[in-house]
Amino acid sequence: MSATTEIPLGPVKDPAIAAALGRRRKRSDALVRTLSLIATAIGLVFLASILVTLFLKGFGAMNLSVFTHVTKPPGSDGGLLNAIIGSLIQVSLATVIGTPIGMLVGTYLAEYARGSTFGNIVRFVSDILLSAPSILIGLFVYQLMVLPFGGFSGWAGVVALAIIIIPIVVRTTEDMLTLIPNTLREAVIGLGSPKWKMIVLVCWRSAMSGIITGVLLGIARIAGETAPLLFTSLGNNAAQYALNAPMPSLPITIYSYAGSPFQDWIELAWAGALIITLAVLLLNVLARSLLRSGK
Amino acid sequence: MTPPSESAMDQQSTAPAAGKATGSFGGMEVRSNAALNQDIRVQVRNLDFYYGANKALKSINFDLPERQVTGMIGPSGCGKSTLLRVLNRMYSLYPGQRATGEVLMDGQNIIDDAVDINSLRAKIGMVFQKPTPFPMTIYENIAFGIRLHEKLSKSAMDERVEWALSRAALWGEVKDRLNTSAMGLSGGQQQRLCIARTIAVRPEVILFDEPTSALDPISTLKVEELIDELKRDFTIAIVTHNMQQAARCADQVAFFYLGEMIEIAPAAELFTAPKEAKTQEYITGRFG
Amino acid sequence: MQQAVTFPASPTAIDRRPVSSLGDTIFSGACTAAGAFVLLLLGGIIIELFLGGLPAFRQFGVPFIWSTEWDPVKEVFGAGVSIYGTIVTAVLAIVLAVPVAFGVAFFLTELCPPALRRPIGTAVELLAAVPSIIYGMWGFFVIAPLMSQHVQPVMIDTLGELPLIGALFQGPPFGTGIFTAALILAIMILPFIAATMRDVFDQVPPVFKESAYGLGSTTWEVMKGVVLPYTRISVAGGIMLGLGRALGETMAVTFVIGNANRISSSLFGPGNTIASVVALEFGESETGSLKLSALLALGFILFVLSFIVLATSRYLLRSRLKH
Repeated sequence: MSATTEIPLGPVKDPAIAAALGRRRKRSDALVRTLSLIATAIGLVFLASILVTLFLKGFGAMNLSVFTHVTKPPGSDGGLLNAIIGSLIQVSLATVIGTPIGMLVGTYLAEYARGSTFGNIVRFVSDILLSAPSILIGLFVYQLMVLPFGGFSGWAGVVALAIIIIPIVVRTTEDMLTLIPNTLREAVIGLGSPKWKMIVLVCWRSAMSGIITGVLLGIARIAGETAPLLFTSLGNNAAQYALNAPMPSLPITIYSYAGSPFQDWIELAWAGALIITLAVLLLNVLARSLLRSGK
Repeated sequence: MTPPSESAMDQQSTAPAAGKATGSFGGMEVRSNAALNQDIRVQVRNLDFYYGANKALKSINFDLPERQVTGMIGPSGCGKSTLLRVLNRMYSLYPGQRATGEVLMDGQNIIDDAVDINSLRAKIGMVFQKPTPFPMTIYENIAFGIRLHEKLSKSAMDERVEWALSRAALWGEVKDRLNTSAMGLSGGQQQRLCIARTIAVRPEVILFDEPTSALDPISTLKVEELIDELKRDFTIAIVTHNMQQAARCADQVAFFYLGEMIEIAPAAELFTAPKEAKTQEYITGRFG
Repeated sequence: MQQAVTFPASPTAIDRRPVSSLGDTIFSGACTAAGAFVLLLLGGIIIELFLGGLPAFRQFGVPFIWSTEWDPVKEVFGAGVSIYGTIVTAVLAIVLAVPVAFGVAFFLTELCPPALRRPIGTAVELLAAVPSIIYGMWGFFVIAPLMSQHVQPVMIDTLGELPLIGALFQGPPFGTGIFTAALILAIMILPFIAATMRDVFDQVPPVFKESAYGLGSTTWEVMKGVVLPYTRISVAGGIMLGLGRALGETMAVTFVIGNANRISSSLFGPGNTIASVVALEFGESETGSLKLSALLALGFILFVLSFIVLATSRYLLRSRLKH
């Protein structure tokens, strides 16, 4: 004979209470939904405000002389040519120096040191450097290169920017290489290939579009950096591009112009801000489309 | 547990040298007792293999006869793929995996560290389960392996690429698009590309690790025909979890179970009159 | 088609060149050296900042950390004002940003129609890409006047009248100051926190949410009861990451913080962060001066602060690293 177990009924479910609870829960839900919508709208409004301000004030100040004249004293119809060129030079050199180093570190982490303690420490340090305040990187290079060698220089600026881009390339390279399945590696090794050829000729090739994406995003980041340059390449109002002396750059020029009391300088600052933002956004869009087409 | 009765077997004999199937067992076509080549290309003696502390292969003794197909069958985890990967020292990629014992080829123990691993892999090639085309053109895929070991002029390279693709029965399909990416090929074509890539470095032994398990039946058939043809020039070992495939392709078959080689015999013998009970149980499907 | 030339498959003497292992040694050496280089970089930064700040540390001792004196004439410096400004702006920025970031993440993962998900997500990420000097300019030319003319007067009249915390919201509505700086910082770190939250929310296995929905839960209840508890550690990590960024921001803050080397009682008053004071006063510091050393000492303190926050964030996010 089996014992029957009765499900304890307890008080009868009061439909009125359930309905009231339901209404209250629905209200909370609706409230949070509305707040989230507002929050997203706030975020988008800020983005729009920044872009609109940039475009209105930047385009207003934009004319050909911005790109053809060098920086001049207020009231002399100056432009931003030397600042733009100086930035291009420093960013390009920093990318050329920092990318190979970053790729080697990323390769080390993905191909030689997976799970090793030393590798974990390197990865940790790289992540710290990734988010470290860029002003401190500037101070570091100042102590390292400007003080001992007697002066601000384009090289110091290049080194500071390279230090900033390295961890970005490290992270991207390691992530992309880790995605490659081991079956591909085994197929290469199985043909009798030494490990370094497997990495350089096949793994890097396979990961290249992802790595380029990371480099593009890194360029976008260092193109807009101001603080580290304050202590390294300092900025220069002349059209001088020798790397062993202070070099002009767009962010520094914007910074000094925007904080000045001169209206034409302030307008040029907006023009420069627009140029930088467009360049950064373009790089981001390029990186994204590369990532999508590479998939 | 009784062996199938004689009347269930269809015995015909045809010239063994033709290599055609000459018997059937339970619907499978089985090779006749073709005389096994007495020359042995690779000898495995007392091989143990460890994943960390776990002994995965126990005292394997095993021969690969020259220019014949040796099939290796057994349930999952029995060690057949592990053994295959010992033969080209693929395990050296992974720390914690090691082998002791002897694998003799041309008088050398190839699992000895003193033997150059890259030249070894040029002599013993491997085709994997999953087709892995390199992210390059079809031509480059084939040339890659060749360039590792040989310096060829452009015309010699072109010839070799054509030869490798022809022997892999792929030349006709790709000859007009050698400079397009290999990633655009179908699965079956990619696997034949991998075979061509392996042949191109002119190995002596080719190891196939479940080469058709990722392919559709038509591609599978093509690859099996290919193996049949390749054995004229290469010594072949093939791991397969598909007994019928072993019966179709192999001259001799080895059955593995839990890290040990239970039995090895010419294909027809193993499938019609196995000596060990475990083999019998496996081929009748009592476990898989 | 005629078969091309056939080659003997197994000649005994094959013309292969030996594969040397020199390439492997060089390459792995280069990779390892690069890894060591990264460690040297971090070590170098710590050492240089510390050595540069040592004269100031020696001169003022441990009280340097809390002293609020900053007198270039008398050559007496203290980190108190800057540390206060750094921490207050960063914490306030987090307080302002986190709820909004959560709202954005909630919207993107649960409420947004799929077609809009990518554009809006991209728009939020673009906010993160804008360089900080742009934020600084926008903050100074757009937000500060707005604060001065519309927002701050209202807050002074309402919040400034409250007991206890009212003192924080009083004083002349300059438009610049600690609060505005915190606001700009909040907008800057918003996309980072929102993106992290969105990523971890998306990683919750659907089966968890489905079982809650199956019981009749509303969307908010699923978020509150299932998703947030499941992801709370990663969410905390993301918030710490935002905090780490806010602590070190220079350009966004320098334009609007007001550059005053004193702690004012109101959030609307001017102040300084470590980053802003270093940026602003560096140009006027002579090489080898005590002032420069004080700035470097401040840099060292900022580094220690950032390191602690970033290391904590990474620790909290470590499960994400494995993906």
